[in-house]
Amino acid sequence: MPKTFLIDTTRCTACRGCQIACKEWKGFPSVHTKQTGTHQNPPDLGPYNYKLVRFKEYKMKNRVEWLFFPEQCRHCIEPGCKAGADDVVPGAIIQDPATGAVIYTELTKKLTEKQAEDIRAMCPYNIPRWDKKEGKLTKCDMCIDRLQAGMVPACVKVCCTGCMNFGERDAMLELGRKRLALVQKTTPKAQLLDPDDVNVIYLVSEDRKLYHEYAERSTQPAREMTRQELLAKAAKPLRSLLG
Amino acid sequence: MDISRRGFIKLLGAGTACFGLAQLGLDVKPAMAYATSLKTAGAKEVVSICPFCSCGCNIIMYVRDGQFISSEGDPDYPVSEGALCAKGAAFHAMHVSKHRVLKPLYRAPGSDKWEEKDWSFVLDRIAHRVKETRDRDFMLKNDKGLTVNRVESIFQLGTSQMDNEECAVSHQMLRALGVVYFDHQARV
Repeated sequence: MPKTFLIDTTRCTACRGCQIACKEWKGFPSVHTKQTGTHQNPPDLGPYNYKLVRFKEYKMKNRVEWLFFPEQCRHCIEPGCKAGADDVVPGAIIQDPATGAVIYTELTKKLTEKQAEDIRAMCPYNIPRWDKKEGKLTKCDMCIDRLQAGMVPACVKVCCTGCMNFGERDAMLELGRKRLALVQKTTPKAQLLDPDDVNVIYLVSEDRKLYHEYAERSTQPAREMTRQELLAKAAKPLRSLLG
Repeated sequence: MDISRRGFIKLLGAGTACFGLAQLGLDVKPAMAYATSLKTAGAKEVVSICPFCSCGCNIIMYVRDGQFISSEGDPDYPVSEGALCAKGAAFHAMHVSKHRVLKPLYRAPGSDKWEEKDWSFVLDRIAHRVKETRDRDFMLKNDKGLTVNRVESIFQLGTSQMDNEECAVSHQMLRALGVVYFDHQARV
């Protein structure tokens, strides 16, 4: 049974505890921040930032609404990145059957920067980042070391508002439905983002497009597929049959 | 076979992982290679208190071989229940930061650089400056001739890292000096 996050953005105060807890647990160094007119800092995900709270401001009905989106890898049930990596370096991206965690192993070092860029383009949420220094592809690994020791991920443990929830998929889906019913009473536009496709489910109260460019699952790849990818895709059903 | 509960769960998880992958006809080696040990495994847990605000959240410090290696919220603390804010979560980074000031720094009047000094130098200097200022500016009476017994040229800004008892002692000292302007940060 896969594990699932329910990220209830209606409870997020953007304290950024999760962002810091992630860096702390991973032991990542500080990165340069940049003032871009928002508290969102560093401005984007990176090899040392697997988690980032995105900030957006909108004027709605004569008041300013501040929308927070604690972004991370969605740990897709059928990860596009894994399918892409399996064609070039098998084992570079694996999916842990016990937890559903999509993990980038050290084998991603065998990818060329071009191959990594192709894999990045297969992510519907624009999550993976290339680590130039180590020459590997990186992203959130669901704190697999903590999960294997019976602990919850660092970002969930640290959350003081109940925004970050983690548990069995059934329990999280039920919690999501309950919270959604409650939130919809005040904000009818509220919805769960792609609950059938991912193991990191967001509950948002406004139109998902307002939160972040890639909050929504993009149905089209970010760019046109290469010939190799098209062939790989065409061959996939055959390969599945052969086992 | 001597095995801890945590180790047993880990083995169980690894076993399940291997079974599942083998079923899918996949190479299990990469998954095994990725299974790393917990960085806090076997470390001593020391409960301490966050110095930043008046919530005073408990933080568990993980110590191994006398080295502080990691920190996390304390689930047994009733206020935070193991949660922390961004500042509390950054405890270990703060401890090991190269920007952390470990020795008193002194900048002489008119100087443009800081120099390291020992504690006796800075404490003596502070005491002398306080005494000079108080001796010079102590007011017995105000403009209307009312007895005030105060010093208006000293301001003390407290710290949230002082506990209640330290605040009481600090308060008594300042009152005795006649200081009327002082504040404390632990109200955030």
